[in-house]
Amino acid sequence: MTRHPLDQAAATLGAAGMASVVFTLATSSNNNFVKVEGAGLLVFPVLGLCALVGGLTGQRILVRLAGAAYAAAAILQLAQFGRSTNWIDGIGSTFALLLALGLGLLVVGFAPKDDRTEPTSADRNSRTTSAR
Amino acid sequence: MLLAALRVGVAIMWIENVGWKRPPDFSSLRRFTTDAVEHPVFSPFSWIVEHVVLPNFTFFAWMTLLLEASIGAFLFVGLATRLWALIGIGQSLAITMSVLNAPNEWEWSYYLMILAHVGIFATAAGRSYGLDAVMRPIWRSSDSQLSRVLMRLS
Repeated sequence: MTRHPLDQAAATLGAAGMASVVFTLATSSNNNFVKVEGAGLLVFPVLGLCALVGGLTGQRILVRLAGAAYAAAAILQLAQFGRSTNWIDGIGSTFALLLALGLGLLVVGFAPKDDRTEPTSADRNSRTTSAR
Repeated sequence: MLLAALRVGVAIMWIENVGWKRPPDFSSLRRFTTDAVEHPVFSPFSWIVEHVVLPNFTFFAWMTLLLEASIGAFLFVGLATRLWALIGIGQSLAITMSVLNAPNEWEWSYYLMILAHVGIFATAAGRSYGLDAVMRPIWRSSDSQLSRVLMRLS
């Protein structure tokens, strides 16, 4: 079964969100890539799973919900980091990754999904050529 | 696949480096910004930092945080990649002009940062496993001005 490229993108972003918990394994104070701790250990994988299921089943409402929730978490993190109250227990890098996942899922979640949006042969060739 | 790896790797570089820009005082960022004045690289840039940026440091620090988080986010998902690669070149130049002559800096760090973004721009790396690859057919089939702009920026 061939999935729509928008669904594939949503599933990939969801998988990336779930995989983000690996960042918690890096503990160096100045080389931790992305700080994922505390509630972030719940936020990243749960919303990622929601987006993954949405992408695999074509349920765009799940993709939109996950994107909106990641974006809301990003705004919350931006407002709280550096303060004593920090619900997600993150820093600027946590904010940036939440922003990336929220932005990406909202874009693919709200993009028009019809036959015209299938990649053209030119795009397929471009992607194949780029991949080499 | 290699272009996607380059794009995501550069994105994570920006994302990680948003992490040490910590409000409310942004003390580490202030120290590096002050290097532009204490160890000048390009005198007009040093003048601007001394007379415009440092007196309004908190504002510029927040703008730096938001800009670098956005560069990281957009490059990570590969959306409007060419635009954000250009912005990345601009920010890399600003960083270069701030710290290039500071003690214990390896100047090739900054040249390589710029070159990595040039590579992302030149190859339109968002079309390789990025959202640009998924969205360009949609933008192409749309008549809107925004879609035409996004086609150029991707």
